[in-house]
Amino acid sequence: MSNLALLDETKAARIRDALWCTLVAALVVWFAAIPALDGNLSLYFSLMLWITMATGLNIIAGFTGYMPFGYVAFYGLGTYTTAILVVNLNVSPYVAIPAAGVVGILTAILFAPTLRLGGIYFAIVSLSLSIILQRLVGLAPDEWTGGSHGLYLGQKTDRIEGYFTMVLVMVAALLTVTWLARSRLGKALKAIRDDAEAADAMGVNVNLSRLYAWMLSGLFGALCGGVQAWFTGALDPITAFDILVTAKTVIYAMAGGLGTVTGPVVGTVILVWVDELIWRQFPILNNFLLGLIIALLILFMPRGIIGTLMQRYPRIRRFIM
Amino acid sequence: MNEVLLLNAAIGGIVFGAVYALIGCSLNVLAGVLRVINFAHGEFIIAGSFFAYVLFTAFALNPLYALPLCAVVFYFAGRVLYYLLVPRLAKSDEPETSSFLLMFGVSLMMVSVMTWIFEADIRPFNFSFEPINVTFFTIQDAYGEGRHGRILVPTARLVALGINAIIIMGLTWFFYRTLPGKALRAATMDREAVQIVGINIHKLSSIAFGLATALAGVTGVLLAVVVPSIDPNGGPDIVLIGFIVIVLGGLGHPVGALVAGILFGFVEQFSNVMLQQAAAQMVGFIILVAVILVRPSGLFGKAVTK
Repeated sequence: MSNLALLDETKAARIRDALWCTLVAALVVWFAAIPALDGNLSLYFSLMLWITMATGLNIIAGFTGYMPFGYVAFYGLGTYTTAILVVNLNVSPYVAIPAAGVVGILTAILFAPTLRLGGIYFAIVSLSLSIILQRLVGLAPDEWTGGSHGLYLGQKTDRIEGYFTMVLVMVAALLTVTWLARSRLGKALKAIRDDAEAADAMGVNVNLSRLYAWMLSGLFGALCGGVQAWFTGALDPITAFDILVTAKTVIYAMAGGLGTVTGPVVGTVILVWVDELIWRQFPILNNFLLGLIIALLILFMPRGIIGTLMQRYPRIRRFIM
Repeated sequence: MNEVLLLNAAIGGIVFGAVYALIGCSLNVLAGVLRVINFAHGEFIIAGSFFAYVLFTAFALNPLYALPLCAVVFYFAGRVLYYLLVPRLAKSDEPETSSFLLMFGVSLMMVSVMTWIFEADIRPFNFSFEPINVTFFTIQDAYGEGRHGRILVPTARLVALGINAIIIMGLTWFFYRTLPGKALRAATMDREAVQIVGINIHKLSSIAFGLATALAGVTGVLLAVVVPSIDPNGGPDIVLIGFIVIVLGGLGHPVGALVAGILFGFVEQFSNVMLQQAAAQMVGFIILVAVILVRPSGLFGKAVTK
């Protein structure tokens, strides 16, 4: 270990970047090869979906310090935007999914006033807004949203193209957080998280910085929803705005470690596998075990796997993104 | 719109408002003393309903007798639960948000245990009082010439309202006239100062958790009497009403929760009568969002913005 300690900062940063890039590249190659290898498409699709969701949530929760307990709102609006455009207006998914992303960003701007709320109030309002949106979708005319039965994409569903689009969206999300972690904006966000007043005094534009973070989070949540609609081809208001979507996103991100770039990826990969194992073995107890994992994580490992490693072995901090 | 519907809404507003006030009170004990936002409160309440249900179906025990039993059992369960869950939370950077997530996990576990035992269907609770309804008064010509509109109120709701009023008065007395109650209010104001004057904060906190759990159980029994069907998946709906009430009244403020609970009961009952169903369901959430954005401290609390 003493050799590691002697490495100078630029060298450490180079090793850190190389490690992270290797991890991302390995993931992308692995995921992209799955259809050719006849792998379990649904499993790997959901792995990518959750990596992207957890990474998107990490931008606002980890980097900026807000816990959006209604994060599913972006996801749900994304699925509905895509499905409505594709089913009702016959738009290509390649246009509909970016449109879902735009809706995500616009929703984030619409909900921006909630960012002035602290801690638990933000969580409760965010949760309420997601429920309001779910009910609004239920109230919308049935010929648009399909009412409580939801919408079916039918022949426009495309699992292969949807799968590769998910690879693209995941790569975009990972590149975005990589950039964010080294950028001025990312440092501003962490300063706001730790002490908003001090950050303001140092000349950080607090409102604008956290709005950017919120918009990025919203964008990736909505994109995930959009691709999910294309991949599975069916959606309804209950599952599209299910609070369990938020819960899983939060848990996967926390398990790895909020505020680190690697954390949400590691947490998702481990927990989705565990979830898959649990789901197969004990379908009845699935939610019980999910709840248990949540409780144990909060009580015994609130910083997550990566966060705890960094805390226990400060020397490796320089090598983890 | 006629007078009968409006009067019924007003009576429903008082009955449900009192239940919501009780939910708000127990949530506020946790939020105020422990800084725990109990996402699993709805499941605690439903567990109370099932407690009465099991005693009634197995031993034909009147839910009114189940009430004190439930309070005692839930009190001790709550005190144990405190030592299992809460002390470790204090170390976290943002205890309230962590508790929110922690209790969400607890809520998931409780729902799956309850659906495992009682299955996912809604259980009818076939208990009724004699007479079933009490006729309040008659309005002449409510439905036009020569017909009478009567205001019928189920006896069960009146009994529940009476018990509820007694519990609320008892709580008020406890908080303002007894030493443990005063200690709890003091801990809400300043946890550190309370420890300086020699109060064992862990013991006090576990009493608070026990009290809140007992109140939740009692609320569950009352709710089973008022709405005689029990849904193991109904927890989130209940806890969200609880959140609306405590935010409206001011987080951690005992009197605020009472006023807000009754206010919300009226708003809910009147919007059920006056609006479409889906729109009526949204009213509560819109109030919640509006209150937080306009006056985040609630009607009675102090400022909280970041």
